[in-house]
Amino acid sequence: MIDLRTLSRRGFLNMSAVGAASLMLPAGLARQALAATALPAIAEEDAVIGFGHVGPISDEGWTWSHHQGLLAVKEAYPKLKKILEVENIPYSADATRTYRQFVSEGANLIFDTSSNGDFLHEVVKRATDVAFLECNGHITMDNLGWYYLAHWYPTYVLGVAAGHLSKTGKLGYVASFPVASVYASTNAFLMGARTVNPQATLQTIVINSWFDPQAATQAGTALIDNGCDFLFGIMDEAGYLQVAEKRGVWAAMWNTDIRRYGPNSYVSSVIIDFKKFYVDQVGKRLAGTWTPSETLLAMGAGVDRDAWGEKVPTDVGKAADAVRDKILSGWSPFEGEIKDATGTVRVAAGQKMTELELYNWDWSVEGVSGLTS
Amino acid sequence: MDLLTGLFTTAFLAGGVLALAALGEVLAERVGVVNLGVEGLMAMGALTAIATVAAVPSPSIGFLAALAVGALFGMVFAFATVILRANQVLCGLALTLMGSGLASTIGRAYSGMPARAVFPGVEVPILSTLPVLGKAFFSQNILVYLIYIILPVGLSILMFRTRHGLNLRAVGENPAAADAAGIPVTLIRFAYVTAGSALAAGAGAYLTLTFVPSWSDGVVAGRGWIAVALVIFAGYRPIPAVLSGLLFGFITALGFVGQARGWPVAPAFLSMLPYLGTVAFIIVPVLAFQRMRRIMAAPAALGLPYYRDVR
Repeated sequence: MIDLRTLSRRGFLNMSAVGAASLMLPAGLARQALAATALPAIAEEDAVIGFGHVGPISDEGWTWSHHQGLLAVKEAYPKLKKILEVENIPYSADATRTYRQFVSEGANLIFDTSSNGDFLHEVVKRATDVAFLECNGHITMDNLGWYYLAHWYPTYVLGVAAGHLSKTGKLGYVASFPVASVYASTNAFLMGARTVNPQATLQTIVINSWFDPQAATQAGTALIDNGCDFLFGIMDEAGYLQVAEKRGVWAAMWNTDIRRYGPNSYVSSVIIDFKKFYVDQVGKRLAGTWTPSETLLAMGAGVDRDAWGEKVPTDVGKAADAVRDKILSGWSPFEGEIKDATGTVRVAAGQKMTELELYNWDWSVEGVSGLTS
Repeated sequence: MDLLTGLFTTAFLAGGVLALAALGEVLAERVGVVNLGVEGLMAMGALTAIATVAAVPSPSIGFLAALAVGALFGMVFAFATVILRANQVLCGLALTLMGSGLASTIGRAYSGMPARAVFPGVEVPILSTLPVLGKAFFSQNILVYLIYIILPVGLSILMFRTRHGLNLRAVGENPAAADAAGIPVTLIRFAYVTAGSALAAGAGAYLTLTFVPSWSDGVVAGRGWIAVALVIFAGYRPIPAVLSGLLFGFITALGFVGQARGWPVAPAFLSMLPYLGTVAFIIVPVLAFQRMRRIMAAPAALGLPYYRDVR
């Protein structure tokens, strides 16, 4: 099912807006942007904070994690006048309407937890005294910043584990759309696996949805039928984990700890956590020091691997964690020479990919098939 | 598992959801009532099944509970459309919105809970040793046999080989004439709309008790609408309805297998296949054979409320 409402979420805009912009931006993990002056301070009792979500907070995944961030804000600032929250905002003019409503209710800081692009920017331009933060956004304005996760690092760590655990060396990936998040995710995963098994390959199936348990189940089944013995993906539900459990192969997931769906198959997840970021941003807004920023939450500070599954051998967990420690101490696995799926060298030997190049990745590395054809 | 076996296993499993929902819709439309509430009924059925097996770990009881809830909603819908003669399209849409919304609200307590019991596979003696089909069809769960064999054959005989079947088709074609002949139009419409709704909810239960064993909001994901379309494609007949569900499941499975095997076809095209297939299979026979137009035609009184006094 093609679902245009959610198409944007992890970066549909990449295709259009970013190609050019990224070339001009210098590397860096978090940058305070531009010459914007900070918005004036507000008393906690008068402040209104808004959260707009793409899905339901009961999804146990993406939106649920953002909701946890909201709860953390509530706990840190119990005297806030109001916290506005709207779920299931479609990627359409309805998004514009929703955010305009937030503004008219007096919101001082608004989080768009799933990039709504121009539908959001229209409101941003007209409400210059309101601060906006767009998750997986790509542009900044005087009152608009963006944030996302450097999910490729924990994904690389999961890839190392997959390299150890997979006997056939055939890895399967249930993908949503061929967007930057998915390219970065598939590439990082296989690059990690290839450090252990240089022959490993990754086959992807694109199901055109972030959330479709039936399609994910079928995709997982087809991948296993085709010889894959380790499944990974970027879904907001547990569909392919249940298949993996039934067929006795390994699986790694996204967003939250959902091992109860497949305790024997569960390897780990890319775990996301926006609590600290949201509390910090609200604090800055209240103190009058908020300026638009571009933030990629780093591994260990917003995104990480989950505790290893109970059936994962200790030495595999240790081997992968060693790589994790190495990355935490500053090493980047995304260093040339890296070839793309057609064999062309895209990153020369010795050259390191910048965070923004990783964020906007739009080609598959050698060994990943199914995304571009 | 080899390619064909895997392909057919998924096709039978995935097609079953559509086939069962389409059968329910055939029942309603044959007596002249368009039920666009399938999507909502499926959501309610899927949730009821999960909620029931959470309390009583028996898949059969979960399935029966879903049928009962579907029948209940069906009665409300039939009361509005058959007895009060409200607009069927609007009532159907209301049923979809209500069912999906209610399921999503009640379902919060159950989301993220794996089904405590699912229908186990049943191997049919002898037949399950057949190559390909043995594993793909004759080792499936009991609902698969119900959907692909018992229900379509039974309903087909009922509709086209019995006096009662003639009556119910007459109600859908020309309720005034049926009424004049002494057939209880309102009763028949009410009963079949209710039964059809029960089957639609059963399709939802099939989903969460065999295919995707857990509740999550949005699990039906538009399959209810596809089922409505399949009924038209199947010419309002039970056996073609089931076959078209299977065909749809097969083409969907083919898309996934194609991607898994790395066929040099764009993934977007493979995902498009089921829909392209539907269009092709509807258009080609009708264009090629004039006779098909008549066979595929909808019941003449479809969508029209029946007023005895203004005939």
